[in-house]
Amino acid sequence: MNCCLCDQALRFAPSWRGIFLYEPPELLCQPCRNEFLKIIGQGCKYCGKEGEAVCRDCHYWEEHGYRDLIHSGKSLYRYNGAMKDWFHQYKFLKDVLLAQVFAKDLREALANERALIVPIPLNAEKLSERSFSQVDELLLAAGIPYSHLLEKCGETLGEKTREERMATKQLFRLNGEAVPKQLVLVDDLYTTGTTMRQAAKILQEAGAESIRILTLIRA
Amino acid sequence: MQAIEAFLTGRIWIKQFIPFPEEVIQEATEKGSARVVSGISADGQCARCLETSPDYVIPFQCATCGEVCRYCRTCIKMGRISSCTELVLWTSPALPKSAPRAFGWVGSLTPQQETASKAISESIRKQEDHLLYAVCGAGKTEILFSPIHEALQKGLRICVAAPRTDVILELSPRFKQAFPDAVIHTLYGDSPEQTGYGEIILATTHQLYRFQEAFDLLFVDEADAFPYSLDPSLERAVKKAGKPSAPVIYISATPSKTLRKQIAGHSTIFRRYHGAPLPVPVYRAMWNYEHHLRKGKLPSPLKDWIEDKLQKKQPFLLFFPSIQLIELASPLLYKIDCAIAAVHSKDPQRKEKVMQLREGALAGLATSTILERGITIPHLQVAVIGADHRVFDRAALIQIAGRVGRNAKDPTGDVIFFHNGITRQMDAARQEILFYNKEGKA
Repeated sequence: MNCCLCDQALRFAPSWRGIFLYEPPELLCQPCRNEFLKIIGQGCKYCGKEGEAVCRDCHYWEEHGYRDLIHSGKSLYRYNGAMKDWFHQYKFLKDVLLAQVFAKDLREALANERALIVPIPLNAEKLSERSFSQVDELLLAAGIPYSHLLEKCGETLGEKTREERMATKQLFRLNGEAVPKQLVLVDDLYTTGTTMRQAAKILQEAGAESIRILTLIRA
Repeated sequence: MQAIEAFLTGRIWIKQFIPFPEEVIQEATEKGSARVVSGISADGQCARCLETSPDYVIPFQCATCGEVCRYCRTCIKMGRISSCTELVLWTSPALPKSAPRAFGWVGSLTPQQETASKAISESIRKQEDHLLYAVCGAGKTEILFSPIHEALQKGLRICVAAPRTDVILELSPRFKQAFPDAVIHTLYGDSPEQTGYGEIILATTHQLYRFQEAFDLLFVDEADAFPYSLDPSLERAVKKAGKPSAPVIYISATPSKTLRKQIAGHSTIFRRYHGAPLPVPVYRAMWNYEHHLRKGKLPSPLKDWIEDKLQKKQPFLLFFPSIQLIELASPLLYKIDCAIAAVHSKDPQRKEKVMQLREGALAGLATSTILERGITIPHLQVAVIGADHRVFDRAALIQIAGRVGRNAKDPTGDVIFFHNGITRQMDAARQEILFYNKEGKA
């Protein structure tokens, strides 16, 4: 096997752990793996962004009608050059295999989670065009069970400016499944938090009491 | 020729991205002029790049067609192809039309170049493969002009493929000048779209994935790695892009033994066009250079050499084995002279920096192996730092040495291998250069 990002041959590194326990084959070479930067330490309470206890974006939401909607949240990685490349190849070049790259991180973050895990969906048209749902695939690769509670309405945020994003009104509707009291919303990339706030709002109105969020990347 | 025919002849294209309305494609398919194939065949082969390895053809649950599809990772950068992707091929053959064509090249060939040029024309007439084995600076492109002009007059469709974009970009203006009335397409990673029928296609090897049975004649430049042991898909790309009977002309300064054995027709030129011998590499020990660099010290043999070149105002290239070492060395080099810059493969300003070196705005460049080919700068001097490193194989070292003394006015210059122990590859490169010089004199 070669590294799935740089296509260099992977060097096999024997370890005691590997002898006694099954380890899934490594997909990345060490230099490529090292390019990704984990978010460490306590950052923003709501989205995990490094720095202040409440980041600028989340502060805005707290002040503008979304107070205490999200109980807490976390993001796993920074949106650096390597992550941008990965994201582009995964989501836009549609390289589904790359969902496996962060399987271990997501598994560690969600393995002991008792609340219902709810991925952010994409709309039917987009799904058919992309051929896979990038959030579902991340969770599938990590072996984390999930349920969909939401459906995406027509609009997508992808090409909007920051102001347009934050002013967007209705992104989701309920799909009719029962909404539990506790849940974790999962998305791939947290940019301004519009997606998460919209999703959380509609779920709260449907009866959710404690909503936490997890995103792979904080832009 | 109909517009869609001009576009599709010889190409294999994702249906969705064909720049013609759906009805036009539909009509062509119904008439039998075009054929639609599945992106990945039932037995798991990519129809575009012919990849078959299950490491690269990956199954997944596809939401487009609702079934388990496979997609190809090898050629994914050209737009993903999966089992439910439709590819279109033009099936009606294009008939070659012979006609006299303009020839805009006015230079003259040395007797050796002339012989090679004639031998290539002869191979093309007999539809046989040929290897042009010629040293760096032998004037390989000029040798090809006359055979290509001949083929053009016969109405053949011609492809010149090279592994790197820089080479293709350099060839493009020279070809346009030599063949002023030919339709020439230049294709590489982000090239602007060229939609008509190209008679001469200059393309990076990867771009050949997009052609099928298109060419009557192919030239593969820098074919040293041929047969590509590292990337066999490129070799398949060349075969697929040519018609079954199309001859392939391989061009290399450092062909592999396999290639030399495989191909019956050979032309060799061991002498540069200006007649002077190739500069021979000199070895200079520089023990523990890596350790010194990590400690923030520039090893003194290297420092002395650089200072000498700065004093003589000669431009120089410093080849490093890895990007990490370049990063360690570049602040130290900057301290000697702020006109020494660094480039590597991921540097977006690569072209500008090379240009600055040529114009004298920069005194020297520290580089990875990316600049080992295709660079011609008058009075250039070259040093390899860590010539014993495994990235510097025989072919790479010969290419690096080949950057020096290319200009007839100054055919000499330094090629110095700073090493931490002499390797067989270094010796092989030096022996080969000495051999060329001996043969070239005879």
